Amino acid sequence: MSKKPTSQPALHKVIMVGSGGVGKSALTLQFMYDEFVEDYEPTKADSYRKKILLDGEEVQIDILDTAGQEDYAAIRDNYFRSGEGFLCIFSITEEESFQATQDFREQILRVKNDENIPFLLVGNKCDLEDKRKVSFQEASERAKQWGVTYVETSAKTREHVDKVFYDLMREIRARKMEENKTSNGKGKDKNKRKKLKCTIL
Amino acid sequence: MEYEQSNVIKDFPGLYASESQKINNRESDYSEDEKLTRKDLLTGKKKDKKDKKDKEKGYAALEGESSADEGYEIRSPTKSKKSKSFKFASKSKEKREKSRDKEKDFADKKKEKDKRIDKKSEKEKGKNDKKERPGDIAEELPIFGVPLELAVERSRCHDGVDLPLPYRACIDYLQMYGLGFEYIYKISSPKSKVLHLKKMYNHREFVDLAEHDVPTITGLLKMFLRDLPESIFTSELIVRFEEAGAILNVAMREKHLKILVGNLPPLNYMAVSWLIVHLYTVTLNEKSTKMNAQSIAATLSSTLQISQRLLTALLCHCPALFVDVKLIQYIPPLISTAQLPDEKDLMEIELKKQESLLSQIHSEMNAGFVSKQREELLWEVQRLITQLKRKIRSKNRVVEEKGIEEKVSHENTGNSSENLETERITATKKKDSQEVLNTVPLSLNNSEDNLDLNKKEINNASIASENVEVKNIEWDFPKPTEVDQEKTANVKITQEIESKSVNTLQTEDPNLPLLANDKEIMYLNLKNQTLLELKNKLIEKMEIEKKEIARLKLVLKEVQYKNQTEPVIIDSNSDNLDKIMELLQNENQILHIKKINLVRKIMEEHEICIDLSAKLMMLTASC
Repeated sequence: MSKKPTSQPALHKVIMVGSGGVGKSALTLQFMYDEFVEDYEPTKADSYRKKILLDGEEVQIDILDTAGQEDYAAIRDNYFRSGEGFLCIFSITEEESFQATQDFREQILRVKNDENIPFLLVGNKCDLEDKRKVSFQEASERAKQWGVTYVETSAKTREHVDKVFYDLMREIRARKMEENKTSNGKGKDKNKRKKLKCTIL
Repeated sequence: MEYEQSNVIKDFPGLYASESQKINNRESDYSEDEKLTRKDLLTGKKKDKKDKKDKEKGYAALEGESSADEGYEIRSPTKSKKSKSFKFASKSKEKREKSRDKEKDFADKKKEKDKRIDKKSEKEKGKNDKKERPGDIAEELPIFGVPLELAVERSRCHDGVDLPLPYRACIDYLQMYGLGFEYIYKISSPKSKVLHLKKMYNHREFVDLAEHDVPTITGLLKMFLRDLPESIFTSELIVRFEEAGAILNVAMREKHLKILVGNLPPLNYMAVSWLIVHLYTVTLNEKSTKMNAQSIAATLSSTLQISQRLLTALLCHCPALFVDVKLIQYIPPLISTAQLPDEKDLMEIELKKQESLLSQIHSEMNAGFVSKQREELLWEVQRLITQLKRKIRSKNRVVEEKGIEEKVSHENTGNSSENLETERITATKKKDSQEVLNTVPLSLNNSEDNLDLNKKEINNASIASENVEVKNIEWDFPKPTEVDQEKTANVKITQEIESKSVNTLQTEDPNLPLLANDKEIMYLNLKNQTLLELKNKLIEKMEIEKKEIARLKLVLKEVQYKNQTEPVIIDSNSDNLDKIMELLQNENQILHIKKINLVRKIMEEHEICIDLSAKLMMLTASC
């Protein structure tokens, strides 16, 4: 396990969550293929992998684009469990989608059982300023309350699209490094635990 | 190591306290981890309880070697409480990490297992895994030893053939490598080998049967059959099968067996048919396998829990009993995006397989069997599905774009046509979709060609005998509505008629002065008259339709212009209406064929009518 990361680029698993129609797939496709798809087709679940340079280091990103609709909630948990970082997306033009982020946050915390899981609150469709229903202030406050960052994006204009993915990956990477440090020590400890105790005795 | 420890404890009783603490510490560590992993799992309460019990047993067993007896005696509740609270208060974060470590360890072990570097150590590790994991899929949802339908559900072949994977894999293997193997099914292999394979299947591990020999695989197949709680012939029908097998009259026996086979539940029919067809091919290769129906029956009747007589009978009647059964080798879902097929049909087949696999993974995970490996697989399969969908969609888009281009080019060079069908299609196209467009250029083509033909023929008509030409026009009329093949067929017909009528004309001309032919001439003249009338009517209709076509074309151009200004809307329509388009196209084709047939009939009837009316007129004239 410890040898693998050197031979293969690190893999970060990102999950897109949010209500239906807020632009999860649009953001993903914009990030993946630089394309903007305007026609709406509800996603059941889609997964993508991309190699990118993150601060000079080659890493792989796995993006899982989940269903916003409740119909697919059963399979969603299976994905949540394996996610390392979450982009929680709402549409700034739709108040309900903003309210729903609360539920998504709770679900993720319930499944991951970790308050500090890498997480970004994303207000999409910021190109539609004239139709804005959720103020920047309001969203930032919620993000602050959760201890996460708030970013506004536009899948259409590509504004901040790369930023949210890269920021999240940096969080995941930092998190992993922290874990590796402690777990390496722990791992050794675990393997030698019996022995150690013996010698102590 | 552990033994030494216990010895130490024996030798130095004063150390009991710290030792017990150690044990308790270890225990508490595990239980903490357990809690965490269990939370992660979100499994039902019942399962948790079960898991806990299993695990407690597991830990007891692990520790049993060293200090089970002493340990339990020594442990005092107060001390364990102390140690627990101490641990818990100080480092809850570490524990979380520990649980993660453990997951990693587990993943590592799994990987090693897959590689099968060292079978012995692997087995040991396997045991450890089982004890550490919350719930063991091989124990809770095994594939062997459960009713057939459960086995199928838990271990699907993802190509739609409803057989349990190990069963299918065995038959596939034996069809490939077993038919040249002497005394197949008779020679057995060490049970441990077979059990190992069974265990791998139960653990949902990847199994490559090609690494094993024929006796092991026959052994595995036999074990699967023997493990089934119910005979594959079903306990309801088995007695009747036996009765049928005992019938002396060969024809009667076959008839009865056929009825009974037909009464088997679908899954059982599948399993029985594949097995018997496979065994039958073994007997067909008697030269190399040294096994005939009798010897196969003798070796396998006990496994199948049926009499030798019945199995022999089934094998002998196999060609009649399972006429349509074909053993198709299973090609499992692909495992990497690199090998995705390029043809649309293959992509769609692959997509179905992957979706079947995905739903199986989900159901296993929903049942609480979550491992790093399974999660990896879940993402991988999901990625494959996404890729396939994208590929299929882009293919569809290319087809559509081509269709539009063709249409445009045809529109630009477009001639007027008298084709009602074209108009109809264009009308539906405007309403519905672009897929349908693809048929438009075709029919436009036809109608243009036909128009030319018609024109030529009309020109000819003035030169040649009207009689012949009117006939030709009449035959030509349905032509424009038909597709390419029909068109050529019709051209042939027209040509035939032409030559025939030319012949008749040639023969008629010298006969003109003959009195005997007066009646015929009168008849022909009358017929000619009616046909000429018809011709005029048709020409009128053509004119009207030409105008209509010109009008519709204008409308079409407007619509096109709109489409060009709003290209995105085209895309959305076409994307969403893909399925509808396909359906419409199919329907359109069927209707097309129906229409062609009807038009033909009408024309035939029409001809008869003209014939009859001419005769009638002749009769009234002569009267």
